[in-house]
Amino acid sequence: MNPTALFRVAGAAAVVILLLIPLASSELGGLGPLVLSGYVMHLAITAFFYAILASSWSLLAGYAGQFSFGHMAFMAIGGYTSGLIGKFIRFTTAPSELCTDIPLFGSWWLVVLNIRRVGTIDESCLDMAKTETLPAGTLIVFPPVWASIAMGLVMGATFGLLVGWLVLRLRSTYLALFTIGFSEILRASISAEIPITEGQSGLELVPLFPAGLLGFSSTSKIPPYYAMLLLFLVAMAMMTWLAGSRFGLFIRAIREDEEAAAALGVNIVRYKVLVFVITSTLAAAAGALQGHYIGIITPNTLIILQMSLVIAMAVIGGLENIYTASVGAIVITFMLELLRTNITIGPLHIDMTLWRLVFFGLLLMLTLRFQRNGLLYPILERISRGGVAAETVSIRAAPDEDEVDVEDEEHPPSGPDENADAEAVNDHAESDR
Amino acid sequence: MLNLTANNIFKNFGGLEVLKDVSFTVEGPELIGLIGPNGAGKTTLTNILDGALKPSSGTVYMNGERIDTRPPYGVARAGLGRTFQVTRAFRRMTVLENLLIPAMAMRATARQRDFEKKAQDVLEFLTIAHLRNEYARALSGGQQKLLELGRLLMLDPQMIILDEPFAGVHPRLMEVIYRYITETNAQGKAFIIISHDMDTIFTLSRRLLVLNYGDLIADGDPAVVREDPLVKAAYLGEDEE
Repeated sequence: MNPTALFRVAGAAAVVILLLIPLASSELGGLGPLVLSGYVMHLAITAFFYAILASSWSLLAGYAGQFSFGHMAFMAIGGYTSGLIGKFIRFTTAPSELCTDIPLFGSWWLVVLNIRRVGTIDESCLDMAKTETLPAGTLIVFPPVWASIAMGLVMGATFGLLVGWLVLRLRSTYLALFTIGFSEILRASISAEIPITEGQSGLELVPLFPAGLLGFSSTSKIPPYYAMLLLFLVAMAMMTWLAGSRFGLFIRAIREDEEAAAALGVNIVRYKVLVFVITSTLAAAAGALQGHYIGIITPNTLIILQMSLVIAMAVIGGLENIYTASVGAIVITFMLELLRTNITIGPLHIDMTLWRLVFFGLLLMLTLRFQRNGLLYPILERISRGGVAAETVSIRAAPDEDEVDVEDEEHPPSGPDENADAEAVNDHAESDR
Repeated sequence: MLNLTANNIFKNFGGLEVLKDVSFTVEGPELIGLIGPNGAGKTTLTNILDGALKPSSGTVYMNGERIDTRPPYGVARAGLGRTFQVTRAFRRMTVLENLLIPAMAMRATARQRDFEKKAQDVLEFLTIAHLRNEYARALSGGQQKLLELGRLLMLDPQMIILDEPFAGVHPRLMEVIYRYITETNAQGKAFIIISHDMDTIFTLSRRLLVLNYGDLIADGDPAVVREDPLVKAAYLGEDEE
């Protein structure tokens, strides 16, 4: 089977398995001996969340060479935007008079709430309006979750555009420092603006499916599982298409050498901004969905350790491929949880809840030292490029009429020289693998 | 027909005047050598023509369009391609991908497979067809130079600037590069070639530009330029010592 067909079959099999996993969940009674607890389902959802972040970061850093530390900031922008819309925006059929009212179509109004804290109770202008100004029978509608998530995406894209444009001329260390700064500013602002964002105590978000879905309750893990899986699959499909198109070709050229790419006609400004916008939007989508699933988002999701976790997942899997990065994220999410099991060897008791991070750090260090392309990427390379060296040698060995002609005309064939050349090529090919 | 005009180009880096009032015109498929001692401003001039640097003052026009205000990709699309003094292949991309980039960048709706045949022809012309699926980093230095030349054929510009195409190249590869220049030139592309290889540049070029500390001190037939006392004093004289 050729490598492309092999990857397609493996990919299709993986998708089918992921789609069938909820059948084995305890909510549905399990699948024979296999019963996945709600906890395992939760881990799976979290794993998809990290897989979206790690793979989109790999598109940004591994393909386009833009080592941004701001990816979690875009994730948080998605989550907070969606949460803030849920907190502050309502639709009514009459103006509230006490809040900021914006007329929409028909008799509908968009109401921006003004929330005051009286003692320990939050008092919104709409609560007062209900008893004072709003006519009886006025409908008050929460913004739908999908719409606030969509706004999260829009904000992610907008900030991606802004940051992408600002960092255009920054390289490596400077880009990393800039994005760390951006991320920290955002975290500090969210922590400080307690009346808006609730600060460190975290912003609450309505459940993903407030009314449940298809008989599943709003706390069931199954609808969120499929929602996150769907986002993951859509993100992967989109990135696969992008990576295989001219976009992928150009951003990799930019990673390799910006000036050379520009000299060959590539509009590097456009593609650098585009890759920022696209990956930021994906991170924001993941953040918004995860926020609604968990039900709360805190500024701690922006700490540098969280960003490092995403980077470590992508690096251990293989930075230069969206698939290896996402599989890395899924495996590590589960591994970090499995490693929580404490170990007792004789009198020695190891508290793995603390030590697991040491093992994880060690794995990261060993990967960077000995397998800079990640643990999975070389396997993928071996399968997809296994025949290249042999092909090179076989084409080289085949008689080429044009070349013989040239040799005859301009100078006599130089046997030993040519062999040396061929060997050099083979050496390079070997070392490349 | 190609017309490239550089008018009164000045370039300062801080207090350092790297180019002083350089003007010249290229008409049609000329084959021009650009020489001068180290620090004469050859690469700076190349970078200005290519759009990588903006001149401190002066203008560059190509076929009547001003190009010195354009970014490098705009200059490339206007029909000017160049190589760099240090080889700049896209090392972690395959040879074929390296070639597809300029072809795709020139046309917004292009698909990769539209250019694979052309890429194959280019690779055969440059004698590196067997390497098409190798990563560029697996190629020898000379083969990477050929790859850069191949990318220019895929870009298909009207004018090509080569910065030191013969530096550190095996004699057999030099033959290929020499053939590349003469045949591509015969097909109607203009060349400006920067080189320190005096023998090659004098036999190859039909017009010679000589830069010395930012001044364009000679412009003309190589045989005439060679006898120019200014050139002899500034450059060739030093070589003969």
